[in-house]
Amino acid sequence: MQQQRMKTVVMSALVGAALLGSGIAAARDLMIVGFGGPFQDNARKHLFKGFEAATGKKVNDDVYNGEMAKIYAMVKAKDVTWDVIMVEAPELARGCEDGIFEKIDWSVVKKNKFIPNGTSTCGAGAVLWGVTLFYDSTKVKDGPDTYAKLWDLKAYPGKRSFRATPKTTLEIALLADGVPAADVYKVLGTPEGVKRAFAKLDQIKPQIVWWKSGTQPVQLVGSGEVAYAVGFTGRVVRANQDAGSAKYPLLWKTLLWSVDSWAVVKGSPNAAEGMKMIEWITDAKPLTALAEDYAVSPANAEAAANPKLREKNPGMLSPHAAEGLFIDTDFWVANGADLETKFNAWVAQ
Amino acid sequence: MSRVNLLAAALIGPLLILVVASFVVPLLVTLYTAVGDPEIRESLPRTAAAVDAWDGVGLPPEEAYAAVAAELAAAQEAQAIGALSRRLNFEQPGLRALVLKTSRAKASLAAPYKDALIALDPRWGDPELWQLIRRGAGALTPLYLLRSLDLTLTPAGDVAHAAKDDTIFVSLFQRTFEISVWVTALCVLLGYPVAWTLSTLPQRWANLAMALVLIPFWTSILVRTTAWFILLQREGPVNAFLQATRIVDAPVTMIFTRFAVYVAMVHVLLPFVILPLYSVMKGIDPVYMRAAASLGAPEWKRFLRVYLPLTMPGVAAGAVMVFMLSVGFYVTPALVGGANDQMVSYFIAFFTNDTINWGMAAALATLLLAMTAILVVAARLLVPGFRPGALKL
Repeated sequence: MQQQRMKTVVMSALVGAALLGSGIAAARDLMIVGFGGPFQDNARKHLFKGFEAATGKKVNDDVYNGEMAKIYAMVKAKDVTWDVIMVEAPELARGCEDGIFEKIDWSVVKKNKFIPNGTSTCGAGAVLWGVTLFYDSTKVKDGPDTYAKLWDLKAYPGKRSFRATPKTTLEIALLADGVPAADVYKVLGTPEGVKRAFAKLDQIKPQIVWWKSGTQPVQLVGSGEVAYAVGFTGRVVRANQDAGSAKYPLLWKTLLWSVDSWAVVKGSPNAAEGMKMIEWITDAKPLTALAEDYAVSPANAEAAANPKLREKNPGMLSPHAAEGLFIDTDFWVANGADLETKFNAWVAQ
Repeated sequence: MSRVNLLAAALIGPLLILVVASFVVPLLVTLYTAVGDPEIRESLPRTAAAVDAWDGVGLPPEEAYAAVAAELAAAQEAQAIGALSRRLNFEQPGLRALVLKTSRAKASLAAPYKDALIALDPRWGDPELWQLIRRGAGALTPLYLLRSLDLTLTPAGDVAHAAKDDTIFVSLFQRTFEISVWVTALCVLLGYPVAWTLSTLPQRWANLAMALVLIPFWTSILVRTTAWFILLQREGPVNAFLQATRIVDAPVTMIFTRFAVYVAMVHVLLPFVILPLYSVMKGIDPVYMRAAASLGAPEWKRFLRVYLPLTMPGVAAGAVMVFMLSVGFYVTPALVGGANDQMVSYFIAFFTNDTINWGMAAALATLLLAMTAILVVAARLLVPGFRPGALKL
């Protein structure tokens, strides 16, 4: 009985809080949501606060892991509390088809300032991101510098960590198996190619530790839990800055990269403000200031081509894009669901 | 209705509304999501009507082709094609590409649409594709529940085993219940002596010892799990100790293993057995044990014939609580377990968050609920004295 009463009290408090919350939401500030980490800390300083100072519109920011469910639920429930979000390319394309993102208003956002492939129906390019292989050079001397070598368990013992998604992992398996970068998606588009990728992964499966959140690879390598990891370059550069040395060498030959975009959530009460904000935060000036502070590769053509930035910023992806593999958005939009099913079944076997 | 009845109803009313709104309704919505099949009917209403009228033999009439061509293009324009293409692709991989190709080809299509669509992609001339659409146009589908049991529908509509590369869920359920049963058994075995000690300690010490049980109990699961992560990692304190004492030469892999899952889950769930057991043991009159002793029963017999049966309601309450909680565990295996140690909740979260396949998420949740209910009822019927209902707090 006591418990039952407690429950009622707690529940009524929750209901009250929810009502209060929705009251506040009616006249709220602009909410921008990204993947967190050092990028967002610097983006807050240069982009979000910059926009706030320039326009007087208050901006708050929040963090998510790229899971789309929350956004779908918001749009479905018509209670949109996020306005502008950062999103990976395949999720952007999928979400655009599903109508959970507004079409970008190209009369507000200038389309011609972006790098080629930097824009789509619902998204305006934010930054290039990539993953590379890395390890702790204070623990491992002369580690593997290609994916083929990463598969050599005798020469390079220890655990390896990959992102727990078929995207990037299957490409890496094919690269390790000797498929040239240019042919990776052609091969992966066939059932034999998929089999080949999983067979290659089978060779090192017991040695793989899977990561989900972007903070994990550096933590896992830093704590010695794994010897090698494939992780976001931005986090690796930041870890080097914190260590004050090139503790984790960046192996550009192992780069896989793509573009993250800004999008406006469908039905956002701040949609018009959101478009203006996207226009402001994709401009060369604030992005140059950001890139001077933090290793980031803006999808703004002028900032990306800036030689001073390229020199100053060792983590900038644009100069290395040609060395690496571009993660094919169309391929993952078309095949993502099937490969995710297969990947999960394989991981759990 | 008398005034007293009205008053009683008014008092219960808010609670009843709360239970219905926060428990019954979400449960029914989940059950419906597991079998509901709204995508084709909502995105392609004219096509659905046309294939409904069709007798299902050979290929459908021109009407259905015209409807599908027009409606796919309209859905694409209205940003409403995602759910439909995911639904079709889920049943048969590759259909997503077909849907997108067709929806974008609107300008180049002209009557007769039957020939135009078949010319665009020969799959539109495949009777099995149309039977699939016809089945999908119904209000309900068994597909999600079947897939959750590693079964599937053949193009003709029969139930068959899924391809070996795609089977995962039967072993997932087995693993979930295996882990839960072991965690429950370990919790009872470890918690029973602790509760007994607590109930026999002098009050002062009992309060202190109780605090040692309760403080972890009040700490967030996430914090306790993370603590185990730190302790068990390769260069963590446990490995450091083992190496310093020369018990092992090289660090032992403990994190990301089933072992770590058991350790962390048992630690997190132990208070759920200790607390009900303690309350039952506190209520047992020591006179029963003395009576048994005076009748000449040795210590083991006193325990087995008198004490254990008297504490069974506590064991049952604790075990059922631990079992139900462990069946739904998510955070702990996700943090300290490896890829082979994930339980059903992990995939419910995966389908909810990552692939937005809420049909699969709901089907897995429904099956988990049903299986857990069956097991708990079976335990009540089969284990003597195992009746949490007899517990008086």
